[in-house]
Amino acid sequence: MSEFLQVVLSGLATGSIYALAAIGFTLVWQAAQTVNFAQGEFVMLPAFFVLIALHWLGWPLWAALAFGLVISVLVLGYLFKRLIVQPMLPSTGLPLIIATMALSILLKEGAKQFYGAEAQPYPPLFPQTTMSIGGAIVSMQDILNLVVSLAVVVALTLFLNRTRTGRCIQATAQNPQVAEILGVNTRRMVLYTFLINAALAALASMLISPVYLAKFSNGETLGIVAFIAAIVGGFNQIRGALVGGLLIGVLDNLTATYVTASYRAALPLVLLIIIILWRPQGLLGTSEGRQV
Amino acid sequence: MLELKEVYGGYGKITILNGVSFSIPKASITTIIGPNGAGKSTVFKAVFGLLNIHSGQVLLEGRDVTRQSPARMIGHGVTYVPQGRNVIPQLSVLHNLELGGVTSPDQQRVRARMEEVMDQFPMLRQHRDRKAIELSGGQQKQLEIARALLLDPQLMLIDEPSIGLSPNLVQEVFSTLKRLRDNGVTVLMVEQNAKAALAMSDYGLVLELGRTRMHDRADRLLADPRVGRLFLGGHIEEAGA
Repeated sequence: MSEFLQVVLSGLATGSIYALAAIGFTLVWQAAQTVNFAQGEFVMLPAFFVLIALHWLGWPLWAALAFGLVISVLVLGYLFKRLIVQPMLPSTGLPLIIATMALSILLKEGAKQFYGAEAQPYPPLFPQTTMSIGGAIVSMQDILNLVVSLAVVVALTLFLNRTRTGRCIQATAQNPQVAEILGVNTRRMVLYTFLINAALAALASMLISPVYLAKFSNGETLGIVAFIAAIVGGFNQIRGALVGGLLIGVLDNLTATYVTASYRAALPLVLLIIIILWRPQGLLGTSEGRQV
Repeated sequence: MLELKEVYGGYGKITILNGVSFSIPKASITTIIGPNGAGKSTVFKAVFGLLNIHSGQVLLEGRDVTRQSPARMIGHGVTYVPQGRNVIPQLSVLHNLELGGVTSPDQQRVRARMEEVMDQFPMLRQHRDRKAIELSGGQQKQLEIARALLLDPQLMLIDEPSIGLSPNLVQEVFSTLKRLRDNGVTVLMVEQNAKAALAMSDYGLVLELGRTRMHDRADRLLADPRVGRLFLGGHIEEAGA
């Protein structure tokens, strides 16, 4: 029983980080009706920004984390929106999707060329100790990763639902024409959405890199898993992305422990096929009509 | 109140409005009628800053407001209720209503106005916490009108308010518009149901191919056989015969 609890808690911790990246897919979908296939690289890159501040600039960890967050928001939020999304929004969705694929390759290869192909050690954010919960021994890092991720998701949900700016962001996502007619600054709301996405990606990067280390190829797996998590939970719902991320994290751990570790990479894909066949809108998603 | 002077405009390089000119007085209801493609809804978009105006002027109380953004137009006391369903589907009725005052710097006043508007439309108070998408079509239209009233507009542009509504609800919406007119609000409306709309309007405006073809008192237009022949399927002519 204690082993089961340990596996579940560890899965929840990893899944909560998947959820942060998956929420990014949801936010960008709502703001720009596109899929950002560079989302995995958006989670890979901030770790390198932190390492640059640590090793090249010689800054302390807290300052390096702040630097990583600020640069991520600037590059992966503001510049991504201004230089790639905005010029392509008036055209149909496909060019923008292809552009994000190209960006994904650029970021990955850029990180490899700039920082090398080897995995780089990344400093832990939390004490490397363990604690006992119901007989299960779990690492403090897992627990705090879970707590921080869930706290951020709750804060984001409260921001979107309880503040006027949050509701304007929702209005822009759900009906941009009407939002504009009501006087909402829709361009600004879309920008906020991209900035939030970048901040979430940076946080996911900072939480997961102590475990996975900082490597140029980290985004490949993370991007696919987060994409599947968003679809499984419901692409148009933040809570769906959260549930999808947690579900994949837990199932992945349970399969690896009790079934086989050999096919753990296939599990999200199997889950994706089941969901697409059984409930295409995702577990918590809603069907969206499209006008032709 | 509102005057358009030789307005030319359209979408990109396509010109829809070919020199539209008219003026409407304060505290009146004016209905724009015309065949499909005449540019009726486009006039609203031109006034509200949602359309590229190539040339001409839009004057509000004598002040040039040509090409001003929707947010600026709201600041000038203009509100626009477009055709179709225009609620934010997943937000509550209350939060949809609140968005009507999003441009106001005085949010305390907005909250007070929300209460007043809900007094005018009791249905909204009853369903305040429901998602807007869960309301019926008529209730959604009432929500849109209520939201448009939140900032005490001087001019309301309302496009096809009767679409998708039962006859009873259409009468309800028309009564609301008349009540607004009586309270000093100027209403400019586009309506396919031309006969009913002209019957409750003070003035009528006939657009064809992006130009103003007729502009007169609504009762005169209703009685004009040319209007019946051209736009009303001959009903007025037959009734007058």
